[in-house]
Amino acid sequence: MEKASYKRLKGSGQFRQRLVLATLSSTAVVIEDIRADDTSPGLRLHEVSLLRLLEKISDDCTVEINETGTKLRYKPGVVMGGKHLVHDCGLSRSIGYFLEPLIVLGIFGKKPLSIRLKGITNDPKDPSVDVFRMVTLHMLKHFGVPQEGLQFKIESRGAPPLGGGEVVLDLPIVHDSLKATTWVDEGMVKSIRGVTFSTRVSPQMGNRMVYAARGIFNRFIPDVHIFTDHRSGPSGGNSPGYGLSLVAETTTGCLISADSAVCYSHGDNMDAIEDSEEKPDLMPPEDVGVQAASMLLGEIEQGGVVDSTHQGLLFLLCALCPPDVSKVRVGKLTPYGIETLRHIRDFLGVKFVIKPEPITNTVTLKCVGCGMRNLSRKIA
Amino acid sequence: ISRTMSRRNSNLMQLVYGPAESAVSLEEPNNSESDDSDDEDFFKPKGEMEKKLNHKSCSEHINLEDRSKFLNSQLKDWSNEDFIRSIRDRFVTGDWSKAAQR
Repeated sequence: MEKASYKRLKGSGQFRQRLVLATLSSTAVVIEDIRADDTSPGLRLHEVSLLRLLEKISDDCTVEINETGTKLRYKPGVVMGGKHLVHDCGLSRSIGYFLEPLIVLGIFGKKPLSIRLKGITNDPKDPSVDVFRMVTLHMLKHFGVPQEGLQFKIESRGAPPLGGGEVVLDLPIVHDSLKATTWVDEGMVKSIRGVTFSTRVSPQMGNRMVYAARGIFNRFIPDVHIFTDHRSGPSGGNSPGYGLSLVAETTTGCLISADSAVCYSHGDNMDAIEDSEEKPDLMPPEDVGVQAASMLLGEIEQGGVVDSTHQGLLFLLCALCPPDVSKVRVGKLTPYGIETLRHIRDFLGVKFVIKPEPITNTVTLKCVGCGMRNLSRKIA
Repeated sequence: ISRTMSRRNSNLMQLVYGPAESAVSLEEPNNSESDDSDDEDFFKPKGEMEKKLNHKSCSEHINLEDRSKFLNSQLKDWSNEDFIRSIRDRFVTGDWSKAAQR
């Protein structure tokens, strides 16, 4: 390969989207200056793990990293998919970090993907696996991804810092291409659903979170059901933690989510915590419940057909549609969403028409898809 | 009104994609810099480094953490009556005719 054919990028930002877009558009990339000025320069463990995952699901892709890890050369191959794959996501980011790029690549694979991911299921940084199950997967159906073979199972949970959770994802492939969508009607919130998780703590924590969250929602809507999922023993992972994921469903079938979780951070010595009588205090479950509920109401206030977490994925799916017009509505654009729009333009050449709507304080985006087809299915 | 609308429209487009000309002008200082950044300025005074960083408008956030979850630092107190009223019509229990205008 001659050098000229590589697309040159800088920095560690938007790492996942760069790899996803590079793979889908078959563009080889060189990323330089990855945390070059940082006290610990180079790629992080979860980024290396993501590259290993890409190697696992695709054929003929090459990854080269220099000695300090500040430079990466990635030549994408063909996404193959496959069954009975296993990947250890490590403990530096949660499984949610890996699921987001995985579903976009998986649906453009040669064969349906079935993979078991191990690591952290719920943490404060990334969307929880519950939000993924209740919201993210349902976004795919708006773009014509077949629902048969779409399955997600949380076998055990794991909170940071030691993880120990396991999930199984079954993902179908799109047979030709996605379908462009007009998705602007956000509707009215008709119900709120949710699930708590608690691992290696008192099972009462779940009920206390539910009680606090319900207290907030009672002023708005009666149809609130929040389930508790308490795990003990091996299915509860290796660390104590608890949290709450909430989803608001609207009359038009839009799903707006929010989640929060508390746990001990990586710096804490786990053995010391287990042994000593006095554990460092976590945020009380009542506060976690109120926090998650407030976040959800904040998302509802913003409007839009998806919440702020899913903006990036929404834009990406729109851009990957066949050359028809897609139209979507979101609340305020997030920094992550804006970066996604820029990367979509750079890799796929798709530029959105962005129009603010002052009456509702929302933004509508229109684009003509790049005509991505599932080519890997046809090869061989 | 339509004029202000179109101006706001292009502002948001510019916010995301940047004005068309500046993308070109940003390239040039980068090029000239790589030419003269041989061994003599391997050691740079700290202040100069910072100046350079400020010069390249995008460089401060190229190493931003990659996370899709958007954390709103200030959460509103949703037990407050005013806030409750402000999103009342976003629920089926609110006023349907107002919601239809959205």
